[in-house]
Amino acid sequence: MAEKLSWTELRRTLASRAGVSEKKASAFLNAFQAQLIEALKSDKQVKINGLGTFRVQAVAPRKSVDVTTGEEIVIEGYNKVAFTPEAGVKELVESQTFNSEKEDTVMNQENDPIQKLGAQANEIVDLLGDLGQSPEKNQSEQASVSQEPAAEEPNPFTFPQQEAPYVAPTFTMPSYAKEDDDDDIIVQKPHGEESHKLRNTLICLVLLLLLLLVGYFFFRSQITGFINSLISSNDSELLIAPADSASQDMLDGEDPNAYEKSLIPEGAISQEQILAEFLEASGDGSDIERSNEQELTYAGWITEEPMHEASRLAWMSKRYYGAKIYWPYLFDTNRDRFDDPNVIEVGTPIRVPKLTAAQRDTTNAQTIATIERLRQQAEARMR
Amino acid sequence: MLTKEFIGLLSEASGLSKKEAEHLLTTQNAIIRENLMAGKVIQLQGLGALEVKERKARAIVHPRTGERSISPSKNQLVFRPVANIKDEIKKI
Repeated sequence: MAEKLSWTELRRTLASRAGVSEKKASAFLNAFQAQLIEALKSDKQVKINGLGTFRVQAVAPRKSVDVTTGEEIVIEGYNKVAFTPEAGVKELVESQTFNSEKEDTVMNQENDPIQKLGAQANEIVDLLGDLGQSPEKNQSEQASVSQEPAAEEPNPFTFPQQEAPYVAPTFTMPSYAKEDDDDDIIVQKPHGEESHKLRNTLICLVLLLLLLLVGYFFFRSQITGFINSLISSNDSELLIAPADSASQDMLDGEDPNAYEKSLIPEGAISQEQILAEFLEASGDGSDIERSNEQELTYAGWITEEPMHEASRLAWMSKRYYGAKIYWPYLFDTNRDRFDDPNVIEVGTPIRVPKLTAAQRDTTNAQTIATIERLRQQAEARMR
Repeated sequence: MLTKEFIGLLSEASGLSKKEAEHLLTTQNAIIRENLMAGKVIQLQGLGALEVKERKARAIVHPRTGERSISPSKNQLVFRPVANIKDEIKKI
């Protein structure tokens, strides 16, 4: 149907328009082809001014049903190339080419028998009517349909762009305007107020949380400084802050109740244990890493997947766990298989552990500390 | 990756200067736009095709008010990658 602009044609036009030799144009286009893929692989997103953005987009795994056997199957997640046109280009496409195509459709429709169009219009009206929430609306719609002579209906369809009443005469608009106007307003108003209230409370909550966070961090640095000055051992300085922030606060008694709550469901670790651990750890920094490494156990294995070209741990984490932030777990289970987590050979088998609910709980301070610790260990290996 | 960085890559790979690459890229985009306007399908060898497709008018429901209306048909610029690009990207 549509004409094509072939690669050679593009090259020739490009050469003549830009005033360069065809050789150069060809070199450019080849580079464009190769580099766009490479850039997509390395950067996930390539923005090209005057055209749009190419992007690698993850499609989440989803459940489906085998058509022949009726069994439930899981369609695996994958990545695809998505293209978003630039705003200007989008407008151009929407406006200009539309005119030519509209003319086509108008021509086609004029050739069609008018009765067929009328029947189609009625069908749509019926469908919309069936979807109606109240029987009153249904009736009003049907009434408005019967009032309209069938011969007039096709007209609005033939000129969909020029005439706004295209929607108006037969469909829901008039019925809303004439009869359901009052009801609608009464129904909608409280709805709107509610959502406003909700929004306000939400904003308040977020502000409160932010305040708490800022206060917490401000306070924490002070505590760390205080403890460090007490212990005054150079080795442990770095390790104290991230790994044991929870226990420090316990020591200080800033908000003991909150931490008790968060700790008890986690693994029923008593405060004394943590205190003991903390005291041990502050004595010798290297011990804490080792003991914590052994703590990490996983619920099992999902799979072992060879490393794909241009992939990375964060993307695998997104595919299996739904978020990139869990990649340190992948580092943890595979730390013996590569040196630098940024440079993994293609084909290296990567073990993907099953994560327990607690390990994925990002509201838990301990989980965050664990992930952060793993991340720091991984970072230490990056060159 | 932004256009500037991409131009840097292009000039490296093609042996053209950055200025030339930028000039060629803008001209290429202009040509692509014009041909799209003319209703042509742009074949980018080894990458895919850029094409204007019509999106048909459909009935839509406003999610909050429940109001129904018809979204008019419009045109969309779509990119169809070729099979091997699709496969390459799929399993990243």
